[in-house]
Amino acid sequence: MLSRIADSMFWLARYMERAEDTARILDVNYHMLLEQSAVPYRLRWDPLVVMAGEQERFAQFYEEANAQTVYEFLAFRADNPNSIVQCITKARENARTIRDRISREMWEDINGLYYSVTRFDPAEQISSGPHRFCDAVKFGCHRFFGVTDATLPHDEGWDFLKIGWSLERAEMTARLVDLQFQSLLETPTVVGPADNHQWMAVLKSVGAYEAYRRQYHSPIEPERVAEMLILHSKHPRSIRFSITELQIGLRAISGTGPGFYANEAERLTGKILESLRYDTVEEIFRQGLHGYLTDLLANCRAIGEDIAHIYFYYGAGE
Amino acid sequence: MTSAPLQALHGGLFEGYDTGAFFDEMFLAPGVPRPHYAKLFRMLGATPQAQFEDRRNLADIAFLLQGITFTVYSDGTGTERLFPFDLIPRILPHSEWDRIERGLSQRVVALNLFLQDVYGQQRILKERKIPRSLVYSCHHFHREMIGVEVPHGIYTHICGIDLVRSTKTGEFLVLEDNVRTPSGVSYVLENRQVMMRTFPDAFQSYEVRPVHHYPTELCRILRTLSPRGEDNAQVVLLTPGIYNSAYFEHSFLAQQMGIELVEGRDLIVDAGMVYMKTIHGLQRVDVIYRRVDDEYLDPLVFRPESLMGVPGLMGAYRSGNVALANAVGNGVADDKAVCAYVPDFIRFYLGEEPILGTVETYLCSRPDDLSYTLAHLPELVVKAVGESGGYGMLIGPASDEETIEIFRKKIEADPRNYIAQPVIGLSRVPSYDVESKRMAGRHVDLRPYCLYDGQSVTIIPGGLTRVALKPGSLVVNSSQGGGSKDTWVLRDDS
Repeated sequence: MLSRIADSMFWLARYMERAEDTARILDVNYHMLLEQSAVPYRLRWDPLVVMAGEQERFAQFYEEANAQTVYEFLAFRADNPNSIVQCITKARENARTIRDRISREMWEDINGLYYSVTRFDPAEQISSGPHRFCDAVKFGCHRFFGVTDATLPHDEGWDFLKIGWSLERAEMTARLVDLQFQSLLETPTVVGPADNHQWMAVLKSVGAYEAYRRQYHSPIEPERVAEMLILHSKHPRSIRFSITELQIGLRAISGTGPGFYANEAERLTGKILESLRYDTVEEIFRQGLHGYLTDLLANCRAIGEDIAHIYFYYGAGE
Repeated sequence: MTSAPLQALHGGLFEGYDTGAFFDEMFLAPGVPRPHYAKLFRMLGATPQAQFEDRRNLADIAFLLQGITFTVYSDGTGTERLFPFDLIPRILPHSEWDRIERGLSQRVVALNLFLQDVYGQQRILKERKIPRSLVYSCHHFHREMIGVEVPHGIYTHICGIDLVRSTKTGEFLVLEDNVRTPSGVSYVLENRQVMMRTFPDAFQSYEVRPVHHYPTELCRILRTLSPRGEDNAQVVLLTPGIYNSAYFEHSFLAQQMGIELVEGRDLIVDAGMVYMKTIHGLQRVDVIYRRVDDEYLDPLVFRPESLMGVPGLMGAYRSGNVALANAVGNGVADDKAVCAYVPDFIRFYLGEEPILGTVETYLCSRPDDLSYTLAHLPELVVKAVGESGGYGMLIGPASDEETIEIFRKKIEADPRNYIAQPVIGLSRVPSYDVESKRMAGRHVDLRPYCLYDGQSVTIIPGGLTRVALKPGSLVVNSSQGGGSKDTWVLRDDS
């Protein structure tokens, strides 16, 4: 497979996953925050921007983070390269450069999604709330991955899609957990039932609320939420699950067997995964959740850079 | 059933249809369809306007979803536009197509022999069948190609030859040859696909010859060119990239043939071999179906600033380590001035009379033709010899005095660069007019696609019918408001 095509596959999947994750987080938090009008809301809307890693850019356009500005910024702004519409635009752009390598159904599906999200009128959507829009994006992305699964041969192209979305998902979940814990545990003004709602929102934004209920039958406890989102072996949006998928994809590409690694990306992935498999949530909290997740995110970034170096941008003679 | 046509004419989509002073592909006379159009005419006449609109929308959505668009650069940023598709097919009966097919095959073989000769022995120049100065002054004549042995002696693997039907005689004439990197064949295949979904009933009543074997046939020919033999052929399609107006077609053909779509930056020449950069290292490339123009192929030989090309590619090509389709230097054969000599090529190389006529052409490089052209500018179409796509063109009857005078100066300054042709009253096919919501006659041309493997010429039945959708317009190019139609070649005559 051409390096350029592998590169586009990887980013196609990353952008789709980023669009979906942003839509989920926006949708859930927006509605949760509307119920929380008592808490000073400037404090509450900020984390959504921080999570997207876009505080500086946000500050260029808006004075205040509130329901309207955050929604517009995360969903529609053309000058925010990580807004949902921009992610889908770039995903489609990547698909367009490799449309001969993806299935016709995949192309028609992502092209249709692009036209449907760009057809939403931002002003109208901002006044009517993000649910309809976010739902369209969420299901649009699910459908795309479903169509892909059903129509694309599960060969190298598929493996590059897989490492793209799993790496992106691991990073998004890590950022979500990190931020929510910082803001919920370190903000003394928030007490009682409000807390409970916010933990529910965290679970819902990764679609894990019902699963949590089934598994723990207990009131929502922060440590259990963290356990579910970081260490759960079966929940498809937990960090451990995503890194496991990443490892499967990387090994399929290089042909490396279990217990070995062919490159730096595989070594780091294996290392993180061991820790995710054998650490308990109590140990993580003892050493500091924020520090743990910061290290993990740094490793994910290094993995991404290494993938680019090994497979996409090597020079002649390397 | 005899009253059906008349009913259809009154009140249906054909209400007020005027065949005008032109050859109408559907009608013999007002309300009287030609035999091969009779069934379609009855069917359309019985279709309520709302239902027709409905089907039109379906077709448009299908094109949009598949991203069958071309890129227009008007406001500095490229925008994707749909290539308008008109639902009324252009139908050619078997006997008519048969003659076209024989005529085109003959022409393709002669063009290939001319290219072999002009870059080889140059017999035709020595015997003065065409002025040496005319050949050597072509922009696209590349001395670099003299003496190069191309695989199996094939230059013109893929040709798109533009035909028009003259209103005067009803005969098909050759307007121009495209033997460099002709585009548009993807529309032929996609138009058919969409048409079969939109009008399945029409296909049930006609025996339309299929077109979808084109990519298979093209791929077969490309594989035979491999320097390592057909079984080890790594074939790729070289595209200028996503911003090229024909990018859709490049990716479509690569996908249909199951070959890699590459850009210049994916290829590397090392020790005279061409490789592509893959995730598992470099892989040798044998055949390149290139959709990049000669001038941009190799910055070491042609334009040094080109980023689309591959440094060293021409060296690998000349040493026979990689095959290119079409060959480099073909532009000398489709130069609009050289085109006028193709009937002579056919006589010279094949000893046959040309089956298809050619549109009468005045070469401004000849003094007599020049003075005729300058004296009759308001009646003529003037074209720059190296241009295509409807650019650099004067349509005398449709131009004001000022434009004509500007062209007069250009011609006088560089006569070799211009040719003139009489205005051809292109034939018309009923097409749906969005404004009046009725059928109206619109001018069409026809570009069949010919594939040559060195032994025989394969032409997919029909080709691309381009239609000038603006009322009265004679310019069918997509960049100038043209659209396209599905083209049906029937197994028999009706």
